[in-house]
Amino acid sequence: MMKDSFSSFHPIVNFGYFAAMLLFGMLLMHPALQVIALLCALTYSILLNGRRAVKFNLLYMVPLFVVMAVMNPVFNHAGVTILFYLKNGNPMTMESILYGVSAACMFVTILIWFSCYNAVMTSDKFIYLFGKIMPALSLIFSMVLRFVPRYKEQIKRISLAQRSIGRDITQGNMLVRARNGITILSIMTTWALENAIETADSMKSRGYGLPRRTSFSLYRFDSRDRLVAGTMLALIAIMVIGEASGRNDMRFFPSIKMAHTTPFSIIVFAAYLLLGMLPVIIHVVEALKWKSISSKT
Amino acid sequence: MEIYQLQDVSFTFPLSDQATLSHIHLTIASGEFITICGRSGCGKSTLLRQLKSILTPHGKREGTIRYAGKPIEEADQRTQAAEIGFVLQNPDNGIVTDKVWHELAFGLESLGYDSGSIRLRVAEMASFFGIQHWFHKSVSELSGGQKQLLNLASIMAMQPSVLILDEPTSQLDPIAAADFIETLRKINQELGTTIILTEHRLEEVLPVSDRLIVMDDGAIIADDTPRRSGQALFRMKHPMLAAMPSPMQICAGVEAGIAAIPVTVKEGRQWLDTFLQGRSMELPVVDTESRGQSVANAIAGGGKRQKPVIQFKEVWFKYGKEAPDTVKDLSFEVEEGQFYCIVGGNGAGKTTTLSLTGGLVQPYRGRILIDGKNIAKMSAKELFTNKLAILPQNPQHLFVKKTVEQDLYEMLSGSPLSLAEKAEKVETVVQFLELEPLLTRHPYDLSGGEQQRAALAKVLLLEPRILLLDEPTKGLDGFFKERLAHYLKKLNAEGVTIMMVSHDIEFCAKHGDVCAMFFDGSIITENATKAFFAGNSFYTTAANRMARHVWQEGVTIEDVIALCKKSS
Repeated sequence: MMKDSFSSFHPIVNFGYFAAMLLFGMLLMHPALQVIALLCALTYSILLNGRRAVKFNLLYMVPLFVVMAVMNPVFNHAGVTILFYLKNGNPMTMESILYGVSAACMFVTILIWFSCYNAVMTSDKFIYLFGKIMPALSLIFSMVLRFVPRYKEQIKRISLAQRSIGRDITQGNMLVRARNGITILSIMTTWALENAIETADSMKSRGYGLPRRTSFSLYRFDSRDRLVAGTMLALIAIMVIGEASGRNDMRFFPSIKMAHTTPFSIIVFAAYLLLGMLPVIIHVVEALKWKSISSKT
Repeated sequence: MEIYQLQDVSFTFPLSDQATLSHIHLTIASGEFITICGRSGCGKSTLLRQLKSILTPHGKREGTIRYAGKPIEEADQRTQAAEIGFVLQNPDNGIVTDKVWHELAFGLESLGYDSGSIRLRVAEMASFFGIQHWFHKSVSELSGGQKQLLNLASIMAMQPSVLILDEPTSQLDPIAAADFIETLRKINQELGTTIILTEHRLEEVLPVSDRLIVMDDGAIIADDTPRRSGQALFRMKHPMLAAMPSPMQICAGVEAGIAAIPVTVKEGRQWLDTFLQGRSMELPVVDTESRGQSVANAIAGGGKRQKPVIQFKEVWFKYGKEAPDTVKDLSFEVEEGQFYCIVGGNGAGKTTTLSLTGGLVQPYRGRILIDGKNIAKMSAKELFTNKLAILPQNPQHLFVKKTVEQDLYEMLSGSPLSLAEKAEKVETVVQFLELEPLLTRHPYDLSGGEQQRAALAKVLLLEPRILLLDEPTKGLDGFFKERLAHYLKKLNAEGVTIMMVSHDIEFCAKHGDVCAMFFDGSIITENATKAFFAGNSFYTTAANRMARHVWQEGVTIEDVIALCKKSS
């Protein structure tokens, strides 16, 4: 899998992008916008995760989409355009069918966005963002991430040590196993507390607890980040204006009413497409640039 | 300029009537490299912790400690954090954050540096220590040696003027330990940082030390250059002499040429040559009556053999389906009553072999027979009662109760014995391992060597016929090693088979019957101990490296001393 260029941007840019896309994805019900969002999410997820994403989308997202789209009209009978009546006498309306499709589309889009979010926003970036708000919390996060693998390893070692005297959770009958499990946990607790004293010494000896602690990170907000952040803000502004002027309106019940498509709504749609495709565009541009550089040397 | 001045310093822990440190006088000049040695519990660590008052344990201190001319109490936390670096014994416990780069920045963040300066300092340190290749890694992916180097680097990033290290290499394998000492030498030589460290393994550290301080029972008994400290110990006939490097011990044992007592193997060779000049050398006849002979015979294809208790038959093992083979085509046999040592580098698969022998993991090809029975077909109960037991590398993994005594009884909790029988069993083990004074203590309050003895006691309550040991000498001082060897020999004499995995060549050479060299997932060579080490030219004891140009079979210190004494 190729390294995604958008991931190398500043965490604030990454986070801002996903926040905007998730929010718009949940709020905007206009079909054109929904299709754009789904398309962008799909493209980006395939770019990020390759074949795994294709498999994920086909295997889970398509069935989910179908189920959700079918379930809504079966239970929801609002709407004025009645197509036919079900056996139990309930009406099947066009509005509820379309609403089902729209809601399913929104749901699937959000899920795919989250799969992209997971690939881009690694724990470091998350910690960094939170560290900006609460420095103490970011250190705790970092320490937790240090301790979890360490404790896991330790549990494994204790369990092996206990197995070698015939007292592991894999040995003996149910009761004995449960007792052995508790013993292992108890050893683990004693061990953790005992060793935490030394870690506390190490922190103290390196000045932890002094006032005016700073928070260091490897990230730098450079001109590239400024450019992309500026572009994103401009596109988001267009979207907000579009929303405010009613260009994105969509109503399902009781009857379907969609905002008229004006030249301005075309601009809004284009802005949304551009915003959603931003990581893909960045990636393609950088890949092309790389190709042209490497062909020159 | 003096960086530390200790005048008549004594220290007593609360509720203790005996002083842990008594009347210490010590002056440390800026830029010195000082090694402090002494038995476990002699007060080394307590002394080190006096030198950084925020780490000083509770207790009563008398006398004055001056840091850079002023009483140490006047140095505030910021000064102490920035100027006095302290590296702990266990590399894992020193590390606080999850990423290498974050750990390097931790101290600087505490001191409130801005991002730009931190970036520069971190970059400098990463380059100085050669960390840039693993700069972005998670701490959990690092080896023990890398972790300790990271601890050191994250302290050096604060640019301290003194570096205090409490047995920094005791948890590392010999190669990583030598690397670490080399880095310390570099820091001392190139940056002029004062270094004060405590250490058990003196072979690597003495050649780079300016001063060797020997402590005993809370007092300093020798404080001079390594050579002169060694001479002083010799004049006192002090037991700490046994902790000195082999060349020193040989010279002291021969009681000749003390004026030029050798510190390194190189000096040792020169000393030996001078000593043997003009003397007729009488090579001792190699003692072939030792029990190692059975193996020598077995290898030659004849002679009488003991019953094999551990048999590996073309065993292959890997940790995952896609993982590389950790153990490859391994075949060997351990005979009943043998003391079998497996030596070899890190990551060669030694510990895995031990786990395989204990049935903790299963091979994917080949068979392992214990007492002639396939281990894969044995139940845990069958395997671990009166048959086989493993002493884990970290004895703390076995302790479950508040006192050592309760812990020993816990071991018998599942057995149908009556209380009197249990008491009798525990009593026997306690006497055997001389645990009486420790019975009421909490297992975690014991020293490393004592913890191991208590853990050994727990394991012995299972009355094993085969005992597997994983690096039992790790972090122990010479005195505890000898005690351990003594118990193991006693067990051996009772017919218990011992299989040990170790980095400690000197220990294996002195006490093992058969040694096997592990490399790349398999045993490369195996032989009776003496023949094994005599056959290696690099991977052998210091005494052998010192004497092999005149006598190849001289493996242990005692051998070489005997040789020197016989030549006249």
